[in-house]
Amino acid sequence: MATADGGAYSYSLTVFSPSGKLVQIEHALAAVAQGTTSLGIKASNGIVIATEKKSSSILIDDSMIEKVAVICPNIGIVYSGMGPDFRILVAKARKSAQAYWKIYGEYPPTRVLTQEIATVMQQATQSGGVRPYGVSLLVAGYDVHRGPSLYQVDPSGSFWAWKASAIGKNMINAKTFLEKRYNDDISLEDAIHTALLTLKEGFEGQMTEKTIEIGVITVPTTDELEVGKIGGETGRPKPTFRKLTEEEVRDYLAL
Amino acid sequence: MNSFASRFIASSAENEIRQAKAMAEEEGLTDAMWGSDAGFGSLVTGHAFNVPAVPDPSAFLRLHTDDHADPNCKIKIQHGTTTLAFRYKGGVIVAVDSRATAGSYIASGTVKKVIEINPYLLGTMAGGAADCQYWETYLGIQCRLHELRNKERISVSAASKYLSNLVYSYKGMGLSMGTMICGWDKTGPAVFYVDSDGTRLKGDLFSVGSGSTFAYGVLDQGYSWDMSDEEAQELGRRSIYAAGHRDAFSGNTINLYHVQEDGWKFIGNYDVTKMHYEGPGPDVPGAPVGGYGYDVRTHGRFSVLPTAVPA
Amino acid sequence: MSQIWKYVRVTPSGGRVRGVPARSSTTSISLPGTPDHLSSQSTLILRFVMSIMEHNGGSVVAMAGKNCVAIACDLRLGAGAQTIATNFEKIFPVTDRMYLGLAGLASDVVTLREKFRYLTNMFLIKESRPLEPSTFAHLVSSTLYERRFGPYFCEPVLAGLERTPSGSYKPYIVGTDLIGCLNFAKDFIVTGTASDKLFGVAEGLWEPDLEPEDLFETISQTLMNAVDRDAYSGWGAVVHVITPDKVITRTLKGRMD
Repeated sequence: MATADGGAYSYSLTVFSPSGKLVQIEHALAAVAQGTTSLGIKASNGIVIATEKKSSSILIDDSMIEKVAVICPNIGIVYSGMGPDFRILVAKARKSAQAYWKIYGEYPPTRVLTQEIATVMQQATQSGGVRPYGVSLLVAGYDVHRGPSLYQVDPSGSFWAWKASAIGKNMINAKTFLEKRYNDDISLEDAIHTALLTLKEGFEGQMTEKTIEIGVITVPTTDELEVGKIGGETGRPKPTFRKLTEEEVRDYLAL
Repeated sequence: MNSFASRFIASSAENEIRQAKAMAEEEGLTDAMWGSDAGFGSLVTGHAFNVPAVPDPSAFLRLHTDDHADPNCKIKIQHGTTTLAFRYKGGVIVAVDSRATAGSYIASGTVKKVIEINPYLLGTMAGGAADCQYWETYLGIQCRLHELRNKERISVSAASKYLSNLVYSYKGMGLSMGTMICGWDKTGPAVFYVDSDGTRLKGDLFSVGSGSTFAYGVLDQGYSWDMSDEEAQELGRRSIYAAGHRDAFSGNTINLYHVQEDGWKFIGNYDVTKMHYEGPGPDVPGAPVGGYGYDVRTHGRFSVLPTAVPA
Repeated sequence: MSQIWKYVRVTPSGGRVRGVPARSSTTSISLPGTPDHLSSQSTLILRFVMSIMEHNGGSVVAMAGKNCVAIACDLRLGAGAQTIATNFEKIFPVTDRMYLGLAGLASDVVTLREKFRYLTNMFLIKESRPLEPSTFAHLVSSTLYERRFGPYFCEPVLAGLERTPSGSYKPYIVGTDLIGCLNFAKDFIVTGTASDKLFGVAEGLWEPDLEPEDLFETISQTLMNAVDRDAYSGWGAVVHVITPDKVITRTLKGRMD
């Protein structure tokens, strides 16, 4: 007899409880809710994703911690929850993006890659001998067909598209804050500031370029696209996703 | 050897050559007068052809000139031809296509595959074009000599036998011919099949070449001894068309000849594609109106076939 | 055509080619270039692979024009020298503005057509976005290379209009060999048993920036005259001219021999 809330159903994640729940998935969500806050905002000309980077000891060299990851030149992700699980998903997502490139000669659209990650996460809820991933993701990407898009993926494998969203410890407050601040024609610059302001709510300690990580999608101009897509058989297309450098973050914080 | 009498000895091919050589010596003929070492001139000197400088030229040639695709292949009917000839009460019909191929490449669409040996004899050409051309022309010379010596035309039988004996003497050295010797002699219309293996067959109906199976199909179902001249000509034309249509290595145009008692007559040259779409013309007995074409013949006969290709 | 002998697979104990049953395990096959490279075994297999691309015959050509592309094929289906059918089309639509031509072994033409139809449908459903020629070209390439050591005996040609980011269309033609090596061209692509002849005629007739009607005339003349010099191609033709707003398809009467 297993204990506490889940009872006997909390051990095997592939068995539904009588009330129709997979309890392990709910536990995974609880793990996410304990993670540091991450958020994403879609602007009229790009996307920003940001997270706080908290280290348990001042002795840790936090420049080595990477919470915003580049998947391929047009897609980046950030997470809340368990760091090691995230690392596995990043590796899988990067492989998947390269596999797509190998077949089609181009990088996957945001939705396809999101779906790919979501499938990996869903499989962990239906296979024997594994546990769900203890992370939620925010996927920011750009593709010619859909333009910039922002997705959230949960441990269950569900995913949604957002205009702005937050995950992790402070998500309730952050989302309320974003709802108040968001409008459809916000510029990328404004969105970055809004992101910082949102993180500042409930931020413990000092917000510096060392404790903040930011990634942005910039929408390429038509001219850039013409060069990148049509002339790009041999050269690499200009990346649309990039991480902000510490200097850039510092400049944004100073404003 | 040089005696007057020796010229009138009933001759084998070798004898003929010996005689000609002797004549050449007597009259001071030289190779230069004939222009080429491989011409008929050099033939009469007895040094007809250069052969590979190996102990056994014939074995060497067999190794290197026999059909490369299949060394075991005994029948040397080469790719790229349809020829036919048949005998009927009104004479002999000779019909051939005009395509020459080198591999899949159509090297020519205007080849003359009927060799006019003399006004009474026709030979068809399948296999090595040069072999057929050279030896059938040579046959023409010998036929004329026969005529001068004997004051009467050579029989088709004798002419074809002369050729078959001749090619037999070169057996194994890579000659490639599949020919029909056609004509009219004292016995009436005659067709003989001769090939470079030395085969010689008398018969009413032959077809030779890669498209021969298609031609036989049409020929066999349409043939009868009592055909009219128009019907016979149409059968020959229609048969070569069938081969031209179905066989990748035959086609382009049809050359049609008719041999009658007073010698051969060229009937016409017909474009295979024109035959497909339009046919030989309105006044041909037995010919379908609107062309021989498959879609024309089957249009509306099968529910699964779409209607004719639009123009 | 590519050097087919490359695809004769050699193993220490014996070798085989797709479709040819392996002979006894003690048989060994020598590579071309070795002293006995014309020995019976390798010669036989070599000849088999060489002829398989010509067994059914057929040719495809594609050309780029001004704001349009054209692709054309003959209609013959043969078995060696014998012509079996004269209504065998070798070009298939992929999207509204993209056609794929497949020349080579007829059974592989049909198999690949089905395979690409499947892959195209899966792409469109999964990604719900248009499939552009450049994307599809890479799909063709990777699909063929998947069978590197037992290839489909087909050499595809792709012709389409690529949508540019500014919303206009750009001609896009590409061909591959039977294991998927992409060959981008700005003028024309040829494949099939008449490919050498097609090269010659196309080289003479093609010019840049042809309008749809002129491109139609050019590709038609090119194909018709080339296949008239090829024993294994011809017996009629089909031409597609792809423009941004419509595809013009015409069936041509050709020489029937």
